[in-house]
Amino acid sequence: MKNQDMRNQLAQLGNGAHALALQMLGNADDATDAVQDAFLKVLSRPGAYDPGTGPLAPWFLRVVRNHCVDLIRRRRPEDANTGELSDPGPGPEGSLEGAQRDQLIKHALAALSVEQREIIVLRDYMDMSYAGIADVLDIAAGTVMSRLHRARMALKEELTRHG
Amino acid sequence: MVNGNRNINNHVGELLSGYVDGELTQQQRQLVSLHCDECDECQETLSRLREIRESVGKAHLSEIGEDQWRETMNDSTVKTTQSIGWLMFIAGLLGIAGIGIAGFLFSEEIHIGMKLIIIAVYGGLATLLFSVLRQRLIERKTDKYKDVEI
Repeated sequence: MKNQDMRNQLAQLGNGAHALALQMLGNADDATDAVQDAFLKVLSRPGAYDPGTGPLAPWFLRVVRNHCVDLIRRRRPEDANTGELSDPGPGPEGSLEGAQRDQLIKHALAALSVEQREIIVLRDYMDMSYAGIADVLDIAAGTVMSRLHRARMALKEELTRHG
Repeated sequence: MVNGNRNINNHVGELLSGYVDGELTQQQRQLVSLHCDECDECQETLSRLREIRESVGKAHLSEIGEDQWRETMNDSTVKTTQSIGWLMFIAGLLGIAGIGIAGFLFSEEIHIGMKLIIIAVYGGLATLLFSVLRQRLIERKTDKYKDVEI
């Protein structure tokens, strides 16, 4: 894959990767650093990705996720933060209704486990296939549906409670 | 009927998510479809799952757009290139300094007393420089007012 093609694809994946990292790390700045580190890692060794093994998206998101897992392991317990699970405030184009919806989703997601949050982001925010999700999370394809369903039911409960 | 429905409910549970995502086989899709025709509870869950999926899909979980990530990538490249440049520059400088010091120490033209005096002067300067740099670094890391905008 050409370097420029890879950069274009990575730029497109940035938003989803950041949302995933944010759900895992709970802090927007840490999430930005994590995605930036992943970019650096991938771009410094572009040959590490073999297009023959599948699309770039699941591979790159696995790199981001593994990096986040490393960061969580290295973190001191007092640094753990799960209070900021979306970027602060709506963008300039965001409507009041959209902002309220975002806020509701953010609160409901915060009540879920990291495992549940990440699978919801991969499927419902990034629209990845079950096969892709299995690849990113390194789980059996058959497990995706049951884990996702449990996560959605938990989110449904939380949305009902907050709404 | 109620017991029968409950059994079917248990069976289609996670298939509802697969149905919403279009990840079921033809047979599974039919099973869910037939079940939902009869079961109000599952029908409601199905419609709620669709709503949730749509809401999460539209939510702004990250505000950083494609262009910003492109810039970030360029920044990353610049940073790496700069780091390599600095590393090469420092390595070269240390090499030159090493050769100079070795030449000075092994030179037979300079008296040993003079050598000791020069070593003391430069050694003292280096120690002072190191101490100041160390202090500055510690201050920079622990300064709680560094992010305050004036």
